[in-house]
Amino acid sequence: MAEFQNLLTPIQVHGPPDPGVESEHSGKNRIFKPGGMNYLLGKIGDAQIGPFYLGWLGVLSLLFGFAAFEIIGFSMLASVNWDVVEFIRQLPWLSLDPPPPEVGLSIPAYGQGAMWLLAGFFLTVAILLWWYRMYRRAKQLKMGTHVAWAFASAIFLYLVLGFFRPILMGSWGEAVPFGILSHLDWTAAFSLRYGNLFYNPFHMLSIVFLYGSALLFAMHGATILATAKMGGEREIDQITDPGTAAERTMVFWRWTMGFNANMESIHRWAWWFAVLTTFTGGIGILITGPVVDNWYLWGQKHGLVPQYPDVYEQPLVPVQPGELDAPYLGAPSVDPLPGIGTMDGAGPAPEMMMDVSIPVPGTDQVLTYDMEMGR
Amino acid sequence: MMGTALGAAVLFSSACERPPVEVVNLGFRGVGMQHVDNPRELEDSVNAVVEREPVGLPPLIGGDPAPAGTYENVQVLGHLSAGEFNRTMLALTQWVSPEQGCNYCHYVDDQGQPNYASDDNYTKIVSRRMLQMTQELNTNWTSHVGEDRGVNCMTCHQGQPVPNNYFFFDGPGDPLRNYVDNVGARVQGTTALTGEGDNRQSIKQAEYTYSLMIHMSNSMGVNCTFCHNSARFADWDESTPQRVTALRGLRMIREANMQHMVPLQGVWPENRLGPLGDGPKLSCASCHNGAYKPQYNAEYTWATGWPAITQIGRPHANAAPADAAASADTAAAN
Repeated sequence: MAEFQNLLTPIQVHGPPDPGVESEHSGKNRIFKPGGMNYLLGKIGDAQIGPFYLGWLGVLSLLFGFAAFEIIGFSMLASVNWDVVEFIRQLPWLSLDPPPPEVGLSIPAYGQGAMWLLAGFFLTVAILLWWYRMYRRAKQLKMGTHVAWAFASAIFLYLVLGFFRPILMGSWGEAVPFGILSHLDWTAAFSLRYGNLFYNPFHMLSIVFLYGSALLFAMHGATILATAKMGGEREIDQITDPGTAAERTMVFWRWTMGFNANMESIHRWAWWFAVLTTFTGGIGILITGPVVDNWYLWGQKHGLVPQYPDVYEQPLVPVQPGELDAPYLGAPSVDPLPGIGTMDGAGPAPEMMMDVSIPVPGTDQVLTYDMEMGR
Repeated sequence: MMGTALGAAVLFSSACERPPVEVVNLGFRGVGMQHVDNPRELEDSVNAVVEREPVGLPPLIGGDPAPAGTYENVQVLGHLSAGEFNRTMLALTQWVSPEQGCNYCHYVDDQGQPNYASDDNYTKIVSRRMLQMTQELNTNWTSHVGEDRGVNCMTCHQGQPVPNNYFFFDGPGDPLRNYVDNVGARVQGTTALTGEGDNRQSIKQAEYTYSLMIHMSNSMGVNCTFCHNSARFADWDESTPQRVTALRGLRMIREANMQHMVPLQGVWPENRLGPLGDGPKLSCASCHNGAYKPQYNAEYTWATGWPAITQIGRPHANAAPADAAASADTAAAN
């Protein structure tokens, strides 16, 4: 019986290839003929490769996805002067950025985020087509559409980050850049700008569901593996006709925590936890900016923030009156966030100190700085 | 294969360094107010500072200003005695151009004769401006450089004509430029809800401030929590005292750039300009060079004992001999 108590797939079935269930489309649009068997894939899953159904949704989705990938890649390559070596060396730091704030929601010029908008459009089309493809394939197989709706939850978060929230804020510049480190920088800047995202209750919920998903996955995977020698992995059988495997797992969890999911409900738990991770996260992002400006202060207002004792001498350092009332970073002359009210209350934009002519002492030369900045 | 991938990952992540790691708690327990150091790298860094110490500089000479007419074209060191003046010149050579010598700044004519009064070398004009800047830093910015310490040329130059750290107005310098150009760095609002406040800061502006902060962090070899509390970066009440010093440092850098570096624009030769054609500018790293106090507060980087840079200088009265002669004539006539 020792063969059942391991963590890799111990059994490979190498029979005649399975062409799949019969349907009105069987045989069409399958780019792999069924039949390929792969030993290594068999170690982690089913050894059979294909049939792979592509169809027009799949073809279009791949084309749009490829276009987005190429636009992002070539924009990054252009940013290092088409130097392939530099492209490889600097790849983690390269980025295709959204337009500067003054572009608002209009179509930006080339070099001002036009390629970002184009890549985002193509990527979104590719993702939505892929979603519909998953929905249609599930229908075709007379399955439920649970996979598609779980995917839709992730797409919701994606659209919040790159589409819904920027529209509410009135600026494409609010969206996430395409880039390995730049999107992480965006995340850090987003949390800092809005006064520490950890105090956002929807962020908290999202983390609960994310970590909860991992916990449930570990519990479920372990439970089923632990009863594999009693047929525990034949979960559908165990749902409709609980055998000794199901009974033992349920007793095990009642013994250890007094309560158990059953063979069916554990999958609903897992599905809801996964779906709610991105759904609650999306809501949290969506209201950050349009509704809430500072999550720390929001948390303070609602009793979430603990008070720690002062460990530094008070006053810290003698300060001049007003010295610590730092002004905002200078706003551009065009409102960067037309989506959330008007700039009237904000007062005039501060002067650019160097956006002036500076006479060079002892010469006739006058310096003028061209303020073409990335903001 | 896994090992190779791991090895490559370590090689490519320059942010990683070999242990050990030393953690010092700077605030209340359990809130992440910690300074992280690598004692091995810190030791190397401190040793380098010790090795750079200039040798053979004479002790303070001081004294009354040199009599009028002693020098020609001395514009910012007129308050020094002749002895102190020479001591300062000797020190400048040690601090800035130990290998190149006096002629790095002073002009030598075709016959090989030095002309100390000449401003023909651009380096002379720059060094005069830098002396003025150092005088102002030590006089007007004691809130950052300290009442009893200050900075001297060695703080930035470390015995080289061009300091290790400066920036230009190009891509990587943009966040610094942005701060130098503008009046503030704050992007966080002071109200919980958007509708209650007037915060119009975009996420890109937040990224500029973030870049500026990372620059400061790198410049001083410290974490965010060296200055900020870990829960709310904007909150002064729970920030460390260092944050106030850092704020004054930023204002100091802005003024030093505006008053002294930018006006040198017409003076720099082509090879000292950045990709956009602007001259070099100071950042936090210019003085700090990766240490929370420049050169770990080594005494040889202080202004203490150098009257040339602890007060605002004045021109040397080189027209005075003629005046003296005139007054002697007047006295004789009487």
